[in-house]
Amino acid sequence: MSNASPQKLLSATAIAKNFGGVQALRGVDFDVVAGEIHALLGQNGAGKSTLVKILNGVHPAGSYTGTIMLDGQPVSFASPADARSHGVGYVPQEIEVLEQLSVAENVFAGRTGLGDGVLVRQRRLEQRAGEIFADLGIDINPRAYVASLTSAQRHLVMIARAIVMKPRVLMLDEPTASLSGTEVDALFAVLRRLKAQGVAMIYITHRLPEVLAICDRATVLRDGQVAVRIAREDFDAETFIFSMSGQRLQRLFPEHAAPVGAPTALEVRHLTVAGHSGAVHGARDINLSVAAGEIVGLAGLLGSGRSEILHGIYGRVHAEGEIRVAERPIAVRSPSDARAAGIALLTEDRKRDGLLFNLPVGANITIGNLGPLSRNGVVRSGVEKSSILAAMRALNVKASSPQASVTHLSGGNQQKLLFARVLMRAPTVLLLDEPTKGVDAATRHEIYRLVVELAEKGVGLLIVASELEELIGLCDRCLVVADGRIVDEFGRGEGGEDRVLRSVTAAQAERQAMASRVSS
Amino acid sequence: MNSAAEAGSPIADARSLRRRLIGLIAVGEVGVLAAMALLIAFFWLLEPAFLSERNIRAILNVVSFVGIIAIGQTILLVAGEFDLSVGSVAGLSAVVAAKLMTAAALPVSVGILGGIGVGALIGLLNGLIVVRLGIPAFIQTLGMLFIGQGLIQVVTGGYPVYPLPEAVNTIGGTDLAFGLGWSFAFFIVAAIAADFVLRRTVLGRNMYATGGNKEVAHLVGINTNAYKIGAFITVGALSAVAGMFVMADLGSGGTSIGSGWELTVIAGVVVGGVSLFGGAGTVAGGVVGILMLKVVQSGLVVIGVNSNWQQIAVGVIMVMAVGLDIVRRRYFIAGA
Repeated sequence: MSNASPQKLLSATAIAKNFGGVQALRGVDFDVVAGEIHALLGQNGAGKSTLVKILNGVHPAGSYTGTIMLDGQPVSFASPADARSHGVGYVPQEIEVLEQLSVAENVFAGRTGLGDGVLVRQRRLEQRAGEIFADLGIDINPRAYVASLTSAQRHLVMIARAIVMKPRVLMLDEPTASLSGTEVDALFAVLRRLKAQGVAMIYITHRLPEVLAICDRATVLRDGQVAVRIAREDFDAETFIFSMSGQRLQRLFPEHAAPVGAPTALEVRHLTVAGHSGAVHGARDINLSVAAGEIVGLAGLLGSGRSEILHGIYGRVHAEGEIRVAERPIAVRSPSDARAAGIALLTEDRKRDGLLFNLPVGANITIGNLGPLSRNGVVRSGVEKSSILAAMRALNVKASSPQASVTHLSGGNQQKLLFARVLMRAPTVLLLDEPTKGVDAATRHEIYRLVVELAEKGVGLLIVASELEELIGLCDRCLVVADGRIVDEFGRGEGGEDRVLRSVTAAQAERQAMASRVSS
Repeated sequence: MNSAAEAGSPIADARSLRRRLIGLIAVGEVGVLAAMALLIAFFWLLEPAFLSERNIRAILNVVSFVGIIAIGQTILLVAGEFDLSVGSVAGLSAVVAAKLMTAAALPVSVGILGGIGVGALIGLLNGLIVVRLGIPAFIQTLGMLFIGQGLIQVVTGGYPVYPLPEAVNTIGGTDLAFGLGWSFAFFIVAAIAADFVLRRTVLGRNMYATGGNKEVAHLVGINTNAYKIGAFITVGALSAVAGMFVMADLGSGGTSIGSGWELTVIAGVVVGGVSLFGGAGTVAGGVVGILMLKVVQSGLVVIGVNSNWQQIAVGVIMVMAVGLDIVRRRYFIAGA
């Protein structure tokens, strides 16, 4: 394939990138032509976001290998601003808005002067933002403060921010993750209009129906490589699912059979968790139980309420309902209540709510577990050190010493360290939120083995993972969560990723139908 | 396992030596101690009288007062908050104790307990407001600084409380050794105890976790609010103790006790490697930092530098120390 082909607006050749030893991309070729919506598909961790971040300068030139051509000219973006000035726009997956500013100011963030001097021309900003919203068919007051918007509205603001730059190439990383049906329709209308104007778009999503609805071409990534490129005429949901998941499914996960007749480790009745800041997030009337030695998965899309269920059980957020551990009812008002009852939680975001960067490796493992390692409140250094070393050995945490800084550990080692922390108290119930997020393949397998080992020791595990393949391969039973409710349940071998996607879609369709019935 | 296997080979030895050196630099106290040694040598070379018995005693005496507060401030900074009202609290506690002993004619012990009670109560108030209402410590304790100064005037009517019972003068005048009295003894004992608590106890470790990342600490079952409030109470009570020692030293409940201490204390402990961002630093470091600040101030006086320049020197030293702290964090402790 030649890069010099004139229709290719943006093309990337042999892109490779690794993060601290984890190979995220291994020689990816990718291109997009003018007036095309090109779907970029793949499981979490397949390398989609990494590729897009390279194409728009978040990972600057020099941090990866390979070449990027724009209009047949090699380019190297030093920053997202550099990419923007070349007409390459990006709407990130995470919502990045300035809450204290108005919608209009957010849309024009960084260019509020509109090119004429140092003063912010508030009225003109609002007017321009209003025009853009009208054009997009979005009903948001440009003068409203972003703090008052729902997450869907915030996402639309971010899309407007990218569009206002009049990009020639626009990348959208899961733009519909927090949008409702009608908002998705509005977004698609916008994208079609941009397409008619000749904008080339790269569209990352997990939602295959959207690909079928709007995309012209699709590239599927798997393990940092291009698995397949599919033209529109060959589009088919089954093909996508097959090429995304590959055939490694059966062999990857250690054997585990659901226990028969085991006592209940965790039982949750009518658990309701409020969504934060009035957004759709939250969970309503959740009933579930996990037997000792059972691995149960919570499947669902981002923002479906999966994590909120775990947080509610652990007492991290306020929740109503009954919780029983080993058939004893417990009152959970804070994480320390949950821990006292034998519940442990591994959080999703290591950097934000997992690691203590001010403490070394060893103290990170023992924090919260110092009770048995101390006498009269004084930590017994010898006992602590030997238990740290034992934990590091048991979980294969590779650090130079217990005194080493956690900053320089790889993602996988950081994750194993956190596992060591939560396992030190020998929990009855273990809640895992995205246990393999951002870890390398080898650690991933170690974590799978660990999960099964724990189950065999009689721990009840409740796991949230975005990678459906992983969840289905690992869990004895999967509960499908959509809009804060459990909408489907199936055992090992009774369904796959397709079943989850179908249940979610059905639940969403049902909700939409209900909504329209109510409004009519 | 890894480190044990490495320890044998010479390359590993060199590496572990290097690591140990880096570890040493990462320890805040070492840098400050080295800097202080250089400064002492410098002042001594310029003016040998700097190391005279009298001057050393004067430095240590001053350090004992602010040092007591520095201990509390270090604990509070480790827990991720700070207190600007320490000087006011010291002054207010001193005059309240003095009033209880004189105007109310209560026993000296009751007066002392009353003074400590005032300090602890203000600490509790600061802690509750910061933790429960979410008002930033900067605002709350700055407010308390003014409130405390006002209350000092209200309590005393603007006049120093004098004379104090003889027992108080005895406390202030006792020479235990080397011309140093009870305040220095208390300072040393409290510093050793607090350093031990932070370094070796579960309480201390949980304090570091709270200041390092409140959310993580909460998730591992630590009652972070209680820790923060406890630290505020500690700093309040220690400020009160310091204020009363000054009162005993002066032999009167002066209205200017503690005035201006808040910044000296924060500057000192920060120079000693206690992080303003929370979760890093030791009592030993904080105490050494404040000692160094006083060494510089005294040294500049002894070598005859204009007092305006002394202020400038203190400012420069503090900014440099915080700069070093940030660099240190970036390379040795560093978060995301």
